[in-house]
Amino acid sequence: MRKLVILLLAAIAATAYADSPLYTSRATLNSLSGQQIYEHICQGCHMPAAQGATGAGFYPKLASDKNFVSWQFVALTVLNGRNGMPPFGYPAGQAASGAPHLSDAQIADVVNYVRGHFGNAYKADVTAKQIALLPHPAAELIGPQ
Amino acid sequence: MKNGEESGFMSRRQLLRMVGATAGGAAMYQAMSSLGFAAESPYKGPIDLQGAPRGASVLILGAGMAGMTAAYELRNAGYQVTVLQYNARAGGRNWTLRGGDRYTELGGQTQQCEFDKDLYINPGPWRIPYHHRGMMHYIKLLGVPLEPFFQVNYNAYLHSSQAFGGKPQRYREVKADYQGHVAELLAKATRQSALDASVTKEDREMLLESLRGWGALDKDYSYTVGEASSDRRGYEKEPGGGLSGRPIASKPVALHDLLDAGMWAGIAAGDTFDMQTSLFQPAGGMGRIGEAFGRELGSLIRYNAKVTDIHQDDHGVTVTFTDSSQAGAQQSARADWCLCTIPLPILSQIPMNVSQALASAISSVPSAAAIKSGLQFKRRFWEEDENIFGGITYTDLPIMNIGYPNTGFQSRGKGVLLGAYIWGMRAMEFTAMSPQERVQRIVDYGSQIHPQYHKEFENGVAVAWHRVPFAMGCFGMWTEETRAKHYDDLCKINGRIALAGEHASFIGGWQEGAVTSALDAIGRLHQRAVAAGDKT
Repeated sequence: MRKLVILLLAAIAATAYADSPLYTSRATLNSLSGQQIYEHICQGCHMPAAQGATGAGFYPKLASDKNFVSWQFVALTVLNGRNGMPPFGYPAGQAASGAPHLSDAQIADVVNYVRGHFGNAYKADVTAKQIALLPHPAAELIGPQ
Repeated sequence: MKNGEESGFMSRRQLLRMVGATAGGAAMYQAMSSLGFAAESPYKGPIDLQGAPRGASVLILGAGMAGMTAAYELRNAGYQVTVLQYNARAGGRNWTLRGGDRYTELGGQTQQCEFDKDLYINPGPWRIPYHHRGMMHYIKLLGVPLEPFFQVNYNAYLHSSQAFGGKPQRYREVKADYQGHVAELLAKATRQSALDASVTKEDREMLLESLRGWGALDKDYSYTVGEASSDRRGYEKEPGGGLSGRPIASKPVALHDLLDAGMWAGIAAGDTFDMQTSLFQPAGGMGRIGEAFGRELGSLIRYNAKVTDIHQDDHGVTVTFTDSSQAGAQQSARADWCLCTIPLPILSQIPMNVSQALASAISSVPSAAAIKSGLQFKRRFWEEDENIFGGITYTDLPIMNIGYPNTGFQSRGKGVLLGAYIWGMRAMEFTAMSPQERVQRIVDYGSQIHPQYHKEFENGVAVAWHRVPFAMGCFGMWTEETRAKHYDDLCKINGRIALAGEHASFIGGWQEGAVTSALDAIGRLHQRAVAAGDKT
């Protein structure tokens, strides 16, 4: 019952913000498409047109990235992170510690999305099953301060 | 300290130099430890770096808390010190945004801070526990005045959008009621002999008495409406003077409602070691520490220097950098040793010839997302309307925290509060918005707790740490697995290069981690330098 209430409230909130690119809640995040996941999360660093950004270091552009020929490269990066990029394949239910989590299906969706947009034109055929076979980060994250 | 040459005996320093020269750094460190010499963290007092070799030099990368702690101590010990800093200011994540400041995040969007004079927000660290003795030492040394930071305010709120019709509850009431109900249950179990297996007959009476005191129970060990419970949770009508002063007791919330609301999760926020009273904040903003440190170090710091390459050889370390104030001309600096405090997401992208073990440690610590937002309001309504003076409200809304200013109480005019402190996935989602949209949403969410928001709001800023050009994240995130695999490699000196920063500590995300890691690293660098002897 409680779960239903939460879902209902989340749905109401999502409706209220339907005109904007995103709404933040764990419940609604679970129903996002690959494109929405990119716009809710990835573009925070890789930027809205996947052009990347440069300061003392840089966020790589995803536009026309040659590494993207390998879907495994993209999927492993999203699952396990790379350099400063956080892993998104942590187990579910660690939100309190700040550990990001996307399901295998969501990771497949976002991998397909970035490999098929921003000047990349690879087939969108990666499945959740294929993602599940790749190594995931298992360890618990030590919480925020 | 007199030199051994003069006294005719081998000095401790000479002995150590000999051990260092013949058996390498590890044996040297071992020997020093057994001589009670090597300073292990936690912070024990000012570091002793006596006997710096003549002419020895250290290049420090980063003028944050770690880099400036190291620069200060190494300079005083006699080393030639140069600090390279990407920003045009000292402090790094020790940073305050004030009215008139401009801040451009990665992606190019600029925020103009429009706060009134003397109002500010700390986008990074905002509190200093009393037992962060390293920080406290340097704050005292630099003469930065401190104010109390209220971690716990009994009159601030715990808020669940899913409970009590979304109405925020006073921390005082939630804590008193939870504690009272738990005490009542325990007392009941004790009196029904349910705990006899764990509690001796002698302890039974003492336990009951203590539960009455701890939980504010009445003479029958019940947590009910009355003087005892109201003295904890507050009154329906508070006691006063004269004929109108007779108090009316308040009614506790039922245990079921408290548990269902999940608010007990917020009760212990001030109980963890890092959050226990006393905590402090520098008057005028956290950035006062970095600014004072920068003034102290003066021309040792070279600003606007973006490091592009770090290369060591048998004799020293050469660092290449571009100077943004001179149209990006490439320059280099060289020293015998290098202390690198550059945040790991950035360092992982800079070419540097170190061991594979260190390189993989550097690329194995992801960077946390976090958002902090400062909102200016026309008046301090949280004080005027709600009697909240400093402290923090916790909520399950995406803004997660509202922090009230711990200074300027009852001042007329405008006020700035921390409208949000967000981490995890929610912080990533806020990072993906434009700064203006972040602020707008933070105001919208906050108005569910303080309905005055929309009427009183004037302007705000929202800093997303993944988009901070000099940090690319809030702090390094460790797991037990990555700690076991990479932590020691990250901290060990590699040739002539050592790393320091909060990421190289067990106090991640705290400035004390930066300070103690810097002291730990320069203590070891100093031993190496002493072992190498004077420069000829």
